[in-house]
Order: sequence, then structure tokens, then C-alpha cells
Amino acid sequence: MYTNELLAAYVNDPDTWDEMYKYPEVREQYRGVVDFMQQLSIEELNRKEEQARRLFMSQGITFTVYNSGEGIEKIFPFDIIPRIITSSEWNYIEKGIRQRLKALNLFLKDVYNEQFIIKDGLVPAEMIYSCPHFLREMHACPVPYDIYVHIAGIDLIRNNDGTFYILEDNLRTPSGVSYMLENREITKRIFPDLLPKNNVRSVMEYPTLLHRNLVSMSPRQTAYPTIVLLTPGVYNSAYFEHTTLARLMGVELVEGRDLVVDNHRVYMKTTGGLQQVDVIYRRVDDEFLDPLVFNTGSLLGVGGLMSAYRKGNVAIVNAVGNGVADDKAIYTYVPSMIRYYLNEEPILKNVPTYQLGNIDEREHVFANMNQMVIKKTNESGGYGMLMGNAATEEEMEIYKKEIVKDPRQFIAQPIISLSSAPCYLNGQLQPRRIDLRPYALAGPEGIEIVPGGLTRVALREGSMVVNSSQGGGSKDTWVLFD
Amino acid sequence: MLSRVADSLYWMSRYMERSDGILRMLKINYASSQDDLQDFSWDSVLKLFTPTEEERARLLVDEGRWALHFMVCERENPNAVVNIVTKARENARSVQDHITKELWQCLNDFYHSVRDGGLAKSLYKEDPITILDTLVKQGLLFVGTGDITMARGEGFAFMNIGRFLERAILTADILDVKISDMGFSNDDSDDTTYWKYMLLSISGYELYLKTYRSGFEAKKVVEQIVLNNNFPRSILYSINRLHRYFEQLKTEGNSENYRKVDFLIGKIKSKVRYSTVDSIMQQGLHSYLKEVKSELYIIGNTLNQQFFAYS
Repeated sequence: MYTNELLAAYVNDPDTWDEMYKYPEVREQYRGVVDFMQQLSIEELNRKEEQARRLFMSQGITFTVYNSGEGIEKIFPFDIIPRIITSSEWNYIEKGIRQRLKALNLFLKDVYNEQFIIKDGLVPAEMIYSCPHFLREMHACPVPYDIYVHIAGIDLIRNNDGTFYILEDNLRTPSGVSYMLENREITKRIFPDLLPKNNVRSVMEYPTLLHRNLVSMSPRQTAYPTIVLLTPGVYNSAYFEHTTLARLMGVELVEGRDLVVDNHRVYMKTTGGLQQVDVIYRRVDDEFLDPLVFNTGSLLGVGGLMSAYRKGNVAIVNAVGNGVADDKAIYTYVPSMIRYYLNEEPILKNVPTYQLGNIDEREHVFANMNQMVIKKTNESGGYGMLMGNAATEEEMEIYKKEIVKDPRQFIAQPIISLSSAPCYLNGQLQPRRIDLRPYALAGPEGIEIVPGGLTRVALREGSMVVNSSQGGGSKDTWVLFD
Repeated sequence: MLSRVADSLYWMSRYMERSDGILRMLKINYASSQDDLQDFSWDSVLKLFTPTEEERARLLVDEGRWALHFMVCERENPNAVVNIVTKARENARSVQDHITKELWQCLNDFYHSVRDGGLAKSLYKEDPITILDTLVKQGLLFVGTGDITMARGEGFAFMNIGRFLERAILTADILDVKISDMGFSNDDSDDTTYWKYMLLSISGYELYLKTYRSGFEAKKVVEQIVLNNNFPRSILYSINRLHRYFEQLKTEGNSENYRKVDFLIGKIKSKVRYSTVDSIMQQGLHSYLKEVKSELYIIGNTLNQQFFAYS
């Protein structure tokens, strides 16, 4: 064991995969960072932490909490110790995500067109049609290059033996990529020279790749298509991310009220009159996109957008209706999709998932509820989740009743003990649970994944929930060169 | 450029100009309160920026430090610097992709420092001039950063249109209130301290000394503040600048909208340019300034209709 006080308290659960520590020593990929940290005093590390906080504040990388009319600026908690992924781990993840995304995209094309997968009996029709995110408006709607998922943020976790599992496929409007970029910028500032010394791969290319893909989606053949990023507005908690991406790509950041549809074409209102829009990278959910088709009370979208989309006069990124593919109940079928569409064995595993419509599975789940996590199929962000090991009898009873009433709304999974990574807390390194969200970009030339991603961390001791709404923070994520 | 973006850039700049004007005035007003000025009062400042008569009366019975607190930190006062800077920052926040990152960070830092809980306390306990000076400097940093980093184009033009329109209105306001405060008459020129502070509050004192080389005279003060085109806070200079930046907006696509606003700016520009201090006095300063202000307001409204209407 280390005698150094920084590592003195680093006791990891023997039944958990720790990213840094493998009894009795620090894993090779972490040695450079640990050695470096040990040269710093607690005061210096505290100063680094404070410097990081100030950098986030000054750059406005904040979200606003509205309390009694007065907006208070908060930052998402950032842990200064990077999470490190070796190149062989990364190659495996990259291959797995590429395969999975390819299959999911084919699935979307299929369910909105011929529906072979239903006809061949792999996915029951009721499973698809009962999904609230399956949109009939998308039936036979042509999309450029047959790409539905342009940007995916697939969540991965690691079990106690280090195996990677897919936790969730986020195929609608995955967020957090600005934190991948900004966390790296912060590391550059607080730990000068540390990145080049450790052979860390750059994530800088992300906006360029995304922009190139957006340009290629333009329905008009012009050298400079008009690309916009559609945001719900300044009150959205991800607003900072929207402005960052717009700035990094040099595209216009628009709100619904800046757009208008005329004769099935989308225009933005400029000081020089109307200007036609070719590609919309939207960060507004499907149901708010077009009040004429979806939620009629929505002010966030543009009336007539869907008709322009169906006519092929504007490209929408990600495509509309993707929610049917990242639905938590459809998730169970992804491994069979991979076999069906690609004739390959899935590289990355699914977490075992119980369908609660099946009586046997439901009985099993009810009998072992304290080892299960129950999730609502149409919610995300850590909402609507019941952790069986932490729930009271009453809470479980309420869930059981609701499950019996509408089993399609829920799935159950055994609680996976997420891997842990060191966090700098109270002057010491302490293990906390983490996950990983790499960002994959699909374009006409294929799928690219920037080497890095967002590592979310459950900062509360013992917690397995990494969502920011539930007290989670984030880390800079390093992928190393060979 | 999106109409909404133009609108926000314009207002970001207007609010920043306003905060600069308020801070300078507060600083000099406070400084003059430390001098043995016979009839010193916060009344004129409060008259400009306080919504209600009762509020003003309440503040006036208190000591000067409270007027400072009210004008800088009081969240309930819509014209307090903290609220003005917040508005500027909210406008900037929604157009972050149109201003440089440096400019955004500069304004964001300013915002965090005016909202700092310690500000009110140090304003009360320490030397207010030091505190106000640091705030003024943050505003200057914003202007300088904008000048050095922003691309010259439509956005920059809208920012400057906002800045100079606001400045012209602010100068007219200050002159109007300060002079009526004095019970102004043509030959009343004895109170030099008063004029000195008045000119200091708009950074025009040194220029006055260099231009006129003699004692203070109300007429000369008016001449400098309204008509001196070398004085960067004069009404004439502000309107000339406003026009210059507005002319950059002309494109083939917007001739109709352009023409309407251009007409109005041209009209006020001629009016001021072909005034003399004697003609102003003949008409009466208050009535003259009132006309100028009303035409400036109309320019603001027309810009809004012709360029910013989007919802």
C-alpha cells in the first residue's frame, strides 16, 4: 500500500473494478498521473480545484437555477483527476459502438419503411407501436443518405470483472459533448504539460467532424448551405452547450421564433430579410418541433417544419422519431438486431434486462427486487428510476402496483456494480462510481468516434447514479495512444 | 444576421454604455459630496434613475452612501448597476456565438463581480471611489476587448449603434437634469465647483480647460456638451458616430428599412449640427434637449420596427 497521504484512504471495494488500482499496485496507465499528483501538496491540489472552478465560472459554463425570481449560476461539479482509457480498451469500445450504431440506424430505416424486422418476427409489432416515441409521421419519409442517427451518445458501464456493457443508447439529442471539450480545456490549464507527457489523444476534432457531416446533409446543392443549431433558448439547462457548439462550428444559433416556414421551405428572419435554411441541428425534442403536427402548445418549434422535412427541403439532425430505437424496452432487442441486420455477433454486451410484460420474468423481478433497478422506459436522465437496494418497502409496493397496471412502461435490470475511479475529495483520492459516454458521429463516409467522451461520476459515496440531476459530476476523459 | 441577434447585440451595448454612464456619475457625485459644496445633493442623480418620487424622498433623507448602495447594488431598483449589467449579460448570453469568447468572458466576469455579495459591504465600508473605479475599468475592458477582438461587420455595427444612441440620450439627460437643478440662467456663472464636477462626471473637464482657458460659464459648458465634435461624449459626436455605423448596414436587400431610419438620423444630425449655442439658449435649453431626446427615442423605435421585429 502507499504511504503517501494522497492515496492513504484509497480503499476500493474488492468486488468492484477500479480503473486506477489493481491490487497491489496502480495500473500502468494511471502511473504517470499518480506520480505527478503525488509531487503536489494538498494546498496546490486545492488551488488547482479552485482554479478549475473559477475557469468554469468566468467562461459562463454554468446553468442557472431560478430561485425566488433571482437566477443563481451553478457549475456542474468537475473532478480534477482524469479518467484514463488505454488504447486497447478504446479500440474495443470503438468497434463495438460502430457495430451497434450501424444496426440501430438500419433498424430505424426498417421500422419507418418496410418493417422487415416485424414481419420476420424478431420484434413484436406491439412493442414498436406502443412506444410513444414511434412517430407515424415518419413513415416512408426519406432522409439524406438513409442516416437517422447522426450523433449518438451511447452510455457504457463496466462490471466488476472489467467487462464493458451498454447501459443506454441515446439517439435523440444526446447532450454533454461540450463538457468533453471544456473539461479537456480545463485540464490543459490546471495541469500544464501533463497531457503531452501522457500521450493523450486530442478531442478537438469533434466540431469539425460534426460540421462536415451537417454540410453534407444539405438538400440544396450549394457551396455554403445555411446550417442552424435550433435551441429551446437561454432557459434550457444545456444552453451553454448549444452556444459552444454553434461557436465552434460557426453556425447560426436559432430559436423557434427566429424561423418561419413558407411554401414547405424553412427560413430564418434576418436583418436583411428571410434566408433559407438547409440543415437544422436541433436540440429541441421531437414533440416540440412542430406545433402543427406534435404538441400544439409548443412555442419552441416552427409550424410547418415537418411538411418541409417530408418534402426533403430541409434536413433535420438527428432525424425525427429516433426515440423508438433508444426506448428502454426496445433495448433488449438490440443484440438480435445486430445479428439480423449485420449477421455479426454483438461486440458490446447488453445489461441483462427483464421485460415485465412476461409473467415469469416479472415474478422473478418481484421476488428479487432488492437486487434490481427498475426504470421507466420513456424517461431518462436518472428520473423515474428505482434502485432496489436503496428503496423502502413502500416505494417498492408503489412500483409493483404501477408495473402490474402497465408493464410496457417499465423494465428491470440487475444492479450492476459500476467501476470506480479516483476522485480528489477532501484532500485525498477516493474511489467513486463512473460511466462513460463517447460521442459517435455518422455521416455519408461512415461512423467516426472522437477518442474521448464524457465520464460522469457519482460523487456521493456509495452512490451508483451518475446523472447530474442526482448529484453527479464529470471528469476529463483520456484515451491514450498505443 | 438574425433580427433577434441584432436586437440583443444592440441592447447589450446600450446597457453597457448606460452602466458606464451611471458609474462615472456616481463616482463624481460621491467625490463632490466630500468637497465643501454648498448645495450638494444626490437629487439630480436620483431624478434620472429612480422610478418613483417617494423612493427618492426616502433616499434623500439618508446619507449619501445609501444612495450609492441604491444605485449600485439594490436589486429592487431596475436602474441599479447590478441590474443593468445583468441585462447586458443576459443579452450577451443569447448571442454568445456572435461575440468573441474574450468579449463574453469579460462581460461575464463583470457580471460576477457586480453580483458579488461583498460588493455592497465594501461600498459601504471602504473608499467608494476605489470600488467604483474598478467597476468602471471592467466596463472599459469590455469596450476595449470588443474593439480589439470583434470582427467588423453587421454585429459590430449594431453594437455601436446601440452604444452611441444610448450615449447621446444619456448626455442629453445629464445636461438637462444638472442644469435645471442649478436653476440655470444665462449669466449665472459663479459656482465653478459645480461645473467642474458636472464636467468631470462626463470626462469633459480637461477638454473644457484646454478649449476655453477661462472661467466656467454655463453657455460654454452647454456648447461643449452639445456641439463639440471633438468631445467623445457630446451629443453631436454621438450622433455622428451613430450615423457612421448605421451607414454600414446598407445592403441591396434592405433599402426600404434602411431609408426610413437613415432619414431620421439625418434629420437629428442636421438639427444639432446647425444649432449654435445662442440659438439653443434662445429656444431654451430644456425645450431644445427635450426635442433632441424625443427624436432619439423615435430612432430607437424605428430601428426596432425596421430591423429587430422578429416575433
